[in-house]
Amino acid sequence: MTEDQHWANRFSPKTRLEIAGNERAVGQLRAWIESWERGIPKQRAVFLYGPPGVGKTCSVVALANDLDFDLLEVNASDHRTGRKLDTFIGRSTQQRITITGRRRMILFDELEGVSGQKDRGGISTIASIIKETKIPIILIATSVGERWEEKFRPIVTLSLLIEYHPVPFGELLRRLTAITEELGIDVDEDVMELLADRSQGDLRSTINDLEAITRGRERVTMADCEGLGKRDRKDYTPDALMKMFSAKTLLEARRIISSTHINYDTLFDWIYENLPLVLDDPGDLVEGMDALARADIHQTRGRRSQDYRLLKYMFNDMTGGVALSRRNSKGTGLMAEVRRKVAELGFPPSAFTVTEAPDGIRIRPVRYLKDDWGRVNAVFRSRGAQWVRGGGCWLLPYFRPPQLVWRYRRTWHSRRRRQSIAEAVAKKCHISTKEAVTEVIPLMKVMFQDDPGMVEEISGWLKLEKKETDWLKN
Amino acid sequence: MSGGMWAEKYRPQTLDNMWNQTEIVSRLKNFVKERNLPHLLFVGPAGVGKTTSILALARDLYGSAYRSYILELNASDERGIDVIREKVKNFARTAAIASDVPFKILIMDEADSLTSAAQHALRRTMEIYTRTCRFCLIGNYSENIIEPIQSRCSVFRFGPLGESDMKRWIKTIAEKESVKLIEEGVDAIYEAAKGDLRKATNLLQAAAATQGGKVDDIAIYSVLGRVSPGKVRQMINLGLKGEFLEAREVLRTLLIDEGLAAEDIIRMIYSEVLRLGIPERQKVALSDTIGEIDYRLTQGARPEIQLSALVARLALAGEEIDR
Repeated sequence: MTEDQHWANRFSPKTRLEIAGNERAVGQLRAWIESWERGIPKQRAVFLYGPPGVGKTCSVVALANDLDFDLLEVNASDHRTGRKLDTFIGRSTQQRITITGRRRMILFDELEGVSGQKDRGGISTIASIIKETKIPIILIATSVGERWEEKFRPIVTLSLLIEYHPVPFGELLRRLTAITEELGIDVDEDVMELLADRSQGDLRSTINDLEAITRGRERVTMADCEGLGKRDRKDYTPDALMKMFSAKTLLEARRIISSTHINYDTLFDWIYENLPLVLDDPGDLVEGMDALARADIHQTRGRRSQDYRLLKYMFNDMTGGVALSRRNSKGTGLMAEVRRKVAELGFPPSAFTVTEAPDGIRIRPVRYLKDDWGRVNAVFRSRGAQWVRGGGCWLLPYFRPPQLVWRYRRTWHSRRRRQSIAEAVAKKCHISTKEAVTEVIPLMKVMFQDDPGMVEEISGWLKLEKKETDWLKN
Repeated sequence: MSGGMWAEKYRPQTLDNMWNQTEIVSRLKNFVKERNLPHLLFVGPAGVGKTTSILALARDLYGSAYRSYILELNASDERGIDVIREKVKNFARTAAIASDVPFKILIMDEADSLTSAAQHALRRTMEIYTRTCRFCLIGNYSENIIEPIQSRCSVFRFGPLGESDMKRWIKTIAEKESVKLIEEGVDAIYEAAKGDLRKATNLLQAAAATQGGKVDDIAIYSVLGRVSPGKVRQMINLGLKGEFLEAREVLRTLLIDEGLAAEDIIRMIYSEVLRLGIPERQKVALSDTIGEIDYRLTQGARPEIQLSALVARLALAGEEIDR
């Protein structure tokens, strides 16, 4: 292994234990491969699908390694016609072991690359290979775009389907931390949180980003992240929300489910985030929040009973239920919030002109803010506003992305610290970590903030690290 | 002994040092004298001496090396009954060596939070290792402990601490720590902590930190305003005023930044709502909503969504009061 390899390859897992996330999928895959020891299973192929960069190919390679299989990798897009595939692969699927006596299996990667009418033959050839094979066949496709699964129908019906999910945020962070430690680079925690957040569960792209900003540096701060480019936000979600909130019928409101590209969980969060800005009448707000809370119940039930028919009730409540609650609201929630923030900042209302634009509210300072600009900017930014360069104003979009997930992610290190303190307290005080978090840590924070003497005594007693002590003091 | 949390610093170390629960303590002393004990079940409210008693008993029984003869588990921190069984197995399968007592003691705190299926599994484990290991199960309510376990244990019911006992102890600690504790301060601590000695001691220590060693009722209230119940009150008041967005911010702080469990937040909301200066009929209506949301949370609904729906309802209640 050479130093100048791409990091994404250099740090790819060599064994099952190194795979990040997707434990369930990898477990299923392993069980299926092992089932071949008891003869040819009912499904002779597995079909692995999921978003890019979550470890589909890596897990196959790592398992082949662990279970000592000879892996024949076929990049499907290299053999586009049925006949070529058949001659190349067909024969090898009839021999269970290689000449050196190792068991073998075949991996068809990047099946999504097989596209268009011309390749139909390719898919059906793979299907006939599956029907005859005497060795395990693994198929991989990245699930992108709509209706991607349709063209794979001939092989999907013959295969065991295993879905891969985005790598969890904490797992991404752990991986990034491990890499930076191995390389001895000092990367700020908020940089890692930013990288993990941008990637939306794509480990490969996270590592690529890390490589891009850290190559040639020994210490990386937020300032180095400027060049990363804006995150790919699906900017039409706000438009869809605008339509949904002004819908007059259930059907109209529900259209948002199919009209946006984001999944319904994320859509739910968008609606929840923005609902109080639209429903500014207390009665409307109660109704709207009730509808959303019931939508949440329908989803919980659907998930628990594995009965996804129940999801339609969730959709109705979260779209129609919310939109039709709007009866007395004036839609001035956002304006009111801006005025409140201005007052909280200690400015008279006349210090800013606030106008409505098609994409949001423009907040223009009447005079130069000078030293106050940073302070004001921080407050507006925390509400989702952006300073328009050259425009001399902030633009606060009518709909803002969900803060919930963002907030969980941005506080990841802080919450980990709280947990490790809680564990120390729990052990020393003979209580549960939950009780430590609820009952003891809040009081400890008071002690740490107000009495330097106690800080020393207690952190020594609990053997806290400096970062933990600082967390309690903050 | 120096430093640390006062609640630990002043935890009685031996049964002789226990100054409350005298009935129970004298029975426990008999076990020490006989060098034998049954499985134990300690039930009672928080901060009255359940864990202290068993730790003191262990120290009296095994001497200063008692730590190698006990295993403390907290049911709420263990991931499932299988993990618990594994830990119990590893601990209990070896007999206590280098001691004249042939068994070790496994202390299982918050045992009443285990599901009844988990408790049945635990009961079997208790039976298997009964020769080499005694179990001391601790919980708040005996109703939540299954019958078969109750019948295999000696049950000890720890009563709440009386007002005068509690105040006396708080004053003793204050004196030893040279805290100038005013009578109003003592009353305020008792009002907030009731019979929970750990809570009272922690509160005293925090208040002592804020005022450089002088504690009155104002100091106590200012500390209380800075911890979770104070923030819950702040959230409720914002909700009543119709400041839903601000109230939701506070809710997020509680859930995410402070890491409170939804069930704790809802418990605090409930006790605050009962104390609010709102019409009684409103209290009944809000209590009904809280009950519904409490149930939904036990069914796995998302805490922030459900609690937000509750906060929205506060705005409506607040508006009706204004009229």
